[in-house]
Amino acid sequence: MGIEFKKNLVVFHDVASVEDAEVLLEWLQGKTGAKADLSACTHLHCANLQVLMAAKPSIQAWPADAPLRAWLESALVAV
Amino acid sequence: MNPLLEQFLSEARDFLQGIGETLMQLENAPDDADLMNELFRLVHTLKGNSGLFDVPEMTRVLHAGEDLMDAVRNRRAVYSRSLADALLEAMDFVGMLCDELEADGRLSAAHGGSSARLVEALRKPIPADDNRVAAPEPEPELAPARPTSTLDSADLPLDGIPEAVRMQAYRRSCGGECLFWLDYRPDEQSFYQGEDPFFLARQTPELLWCGIQAREPWPPLAELDAYCCMLSFQGLTAASRADLEEQYRYVIDQVRLTAIPRLALVIPGGDPNGGPVYEDFVADARALLRAGDLAGLVRNVSSMLELSGPDLWIASALRWLQLVLEIGQEEGAVLDALVDCLESLAPPRWEASELAAAPSAASEPTSDRQDDAPRAEHGREAPGGERDALSPLEADTLTAVVAAQREVLALSDAPAWLPGRIKAAAEALAGCLRAVDAMASLQSLEVATASALEARSGAPLLAWIEACFPADASIERGPVGLAAEPESPPPRAGAQRPVGEDEIKFGRRAEDAIAAPKSLKVDQVKIDRLMDLIGEMVVAKNALPYLAGRAEAVFGVRELSRDIKGHYGVINRIVEEMQGAIMQVRMMPVSFVFQRFPRLVRDISRKLGKEVELILEGGDTEADKTIIEALGDPLVHIVRNSLDHGIESPGQRRAAGKAATGTLRLRATQESDRVVIEIADDGKGIDPDVIKRKAYAKGLIDETVLEQISDQEAVNLVFAAGFSTTEVISDLSGRGVGMDVVRTAVEKVNGSVALTSRKGQGSQVRLSLPLSMAVTNVMIVVSDGQRFGVPMDRVVETVRVPRAAIRVIKHSQAAVLRGRIVPLKSLNELLGLAAQPKSNDDDELAVLVVRLGDESLGLLVDDFSETLDIILKPMAGVLAGLPAYAGSALMGDGSVLVVLNLKEIL
Repeated sequence: MGIEFKKNLVVFHDVASVEDAEVLLEWLQGKTGAKADLSACTHLHCANLQVLMAAKPSIQAWPADAPLRAWLESALVAV
Repeated sequence: MNPLLEQFLSEARDFLQGIGETLMQLENAPDDADLMNELFRLVHTLKGNSGLFDVPEMTRVLHAGEDLMDAVRNRRAVYSRSLADALLEAMDFVGMLCDELEADGRLSAAHGGSSARLVEALRKPIPADDNRVAAPEPEPELAPARPTSTLDSADLPLDGIPEAVRMQAYRRSCGGECLFWLDYRPDEQSFYQGEDPFFLARQTPELLWCGIQAREPWPPLAELDAYCCMLSFQGLTAASRADLEEQYRYVIDQVRLTAIPRLALVIPGGDPNGGPVYEDFVADARALLRAGDLAGLVRNVSSMLELSGPDLWIASALRWLQLVLEIGQEEGAVLDALVDCLESLAPPRWEASELAAAPSAASEPTSDRQDDAPRAEHGREAPGGERDALSPLEADTLTAVVAAQREVLALSDAPAWLPGRIKAAAEALAGCLRAVDAMASLQSLEVATASALEARSGAPLLAWIEACFPADASIERGPVGLAAEPESPPPRAGAQRPVGEDEIKFGRRAEDAIAAPKSLKVDQVKIDRLMDLIGEMVVAKNALPYLAGRAEAVFGVRELSRDIKGHYGVINRIVEEMQGAIMQVRMMPVSFVFQRFPRLVRDISRKLGKEVELILEGGDTEADKTIIEALGDPLVHIVRNSLDHGIESPGQRRAAGKAATGTLRLRATQESDRVVIEIADDGKGIDPDVIKRKAYAKGLIDETVLEQISDQEAVNLVFAAGFSTTEVISDLSGRGVGMDVVRTAVEKVNGSVALTSRKGQGSQVRLSLPLSMAVTNVMIVVSDGQRFGVPMDRVVETVRVPRAAIRVIKHSQAAVLRGRIVPLKSLNELLGLAAQPKSNDDDELAVLVVRLGDESLGLLVDDFSETLDIILKPMAGVLAGLPAYAGSALMGDGSVLVVLNLKEIL
């Protein structure tokens, strides 16, 4: 499982697959002020990405992978 | 190459040919619905086939073609000549891909762009509303922007890219790399196709900057569909177009690449207010520029930068000016414009002509197809203009070489080696001219060199450089240089041309490249004619030994006879090889008949509720086409029989202690000059007792036979006409025609069939067929002075029987041979000849023992002669009605040999 849900925090590990997106969306739909920890994330499927973009959780930690961070920042900081 | 691909390629060529022909016919009869349907079917099939292989470019183009034909077929689009052109163009493209596939076994990635353009051309005639249904990818609002892609860069959000990144990109562009703006809008349904657009975008090569955007504002979270892709990806990359097309080859229609001229990156940004007064700086800078003191300007710029806050707009503009000066590749006009914008505080407006003149734009021939032609024409006008056709790297090198020569020539000292120096410079310049293909200027260079040598000064050559490479002088001479630069053609000129006139040309129209396919399709009649000819050759060849015999016997020239025999050996060898080669042409692999069985077995076993595993072996065994074709029906009968009567239902099998899944094995092997096909199942086998009783009940055998017949013989009774064992007649078998038909069909091609079976363990049918029917081996016998041929495969043995050993039982003659009674018949009698069989000096009669079904029979003849390979010609015309003869053949001495059809005469 690429995504781990804590109380108000979603933690991404390694690769988040396309199936994870639905779970992620459901989880985010039920939360306000959710946070995301992407530090251990190496890739997330596009579907997850757009869920994050739409839900705008506050990003607690950016991925350690610099190019991935650049991509994600362009998508998640701008909004 | 794997056989599947081979077959696909061969079929694809046929399809393409068919599509071309149908299109041609449609030109004459545009309203013919049948032709239209035919065309659709061809394109559709070809598309389906191409889907089996990793050829997305081909499939995509064909898919678009199919959509178009479908639209035409349903009268949503109108057939027109331009439509046919687009389709033909697309088919040419597909043909080219086929050639490449054949040559390399795969496609290079470079075709993505071409295929996207073809798809666009094919989709154009389809009305917009169903265009979107059929092809959601191309964004309608983007399509018109396409032809003006050179100018597009102005509309792109380049200023959103951080300055540092743009500067880095600018440096790389000056280093000769091309820059591309990538805009990737994945299909909304792409997640369902197993794609991860983000992953794909992350793999973009040489990415300098990246960004992700939502295409539309996000809906409330509750309504969000996580699996409808709403993102678009942008990026600035220094990779080549080919690399990018390779990366995005599967989604090339969702990607838009725009070449970015490096000047488009020069956009100062920041806080427009505040900072020191700049008027003085601008005035100074202009003066320095005019004086050509670039070093001074650099100094001024850096001190000015120190005074300005780094976030200011002005500071950004200064940084750009600094960078441009540092790299020093731009023309004076660019520096002027940058200085101007420091004064006006407005971003520099790069004119289209300047952008186009920048090498990075000029080096991108595929970026703007329509632009190409006019630019190339233009380039012929002056040697300076030629550089437009060079790659940026070449152009830079050229500039550097010319600049070096200029420096060398400008040296004012006059050493002893001055003439050598001038000659060296002249050589280098001549090399430059050759590189840009400006041979015309070589002469003027020679003149200048001569006068320079005479004057012992570089001045004449310097003057020549100024004349021939004026653009490079621009840095020193300021804006004047720009005037000397040939004017760039208006980039829009090509875009306004009617589409279709200069449609995409791949240089592979039918007349350009005649593909040389490796396999030929030849009418069988032609091969048959070759076969006939070689037959005549064999006959003619066979005449030589007679000739040799005559030379010796009649004319008594022994040596000549030996020579003729020697030559006969040579010709014989060649003729045999030739015959073998022609036979080879007619050979086909057994897999041709085997290939229908997997489906057949699957269908039948499903219908019967049985589980069967089919094993095909030796599919590459080859035999003559007629044999292979004759095999088809018998094999189907046998396989059906095996499935129906042989293999039990899974329950029965389990009860009998066998695996639930039955095995049916088809194996083809070659045994000397025959091909043997075995069909074996592990079913319940045949019960000889059941067969015997059945045969007796049907009156096929009488009581005595019933008592005597062996199990093996009983099993073979299934080949008797009118025999069937199953109680129920199904649509599969049981009508009593099965094995009888098999035997007849196999015997028709001189084959034989044998059945062995072990009760409870399965049965095996063995078909033995000649490899080829063309050549028949016959034994020649003589009877009543005439020669007759008897097919060798019928002959068991030849014996001499003393007349005394022949018994007469009632009216029939018989003899005991090897402990068995063999009935004897006189050939003369059978043929209605009045003569009695002749005996030899020892009063022995010649008996040719032949096999007839399971029985042996002795034919009384006068004498035996040699065996011979002949080409058997069936009886034709009036003689065709004589069943006693299988055919005739021409002998070497010119006589005709008739071959007996033993089955008929006995």
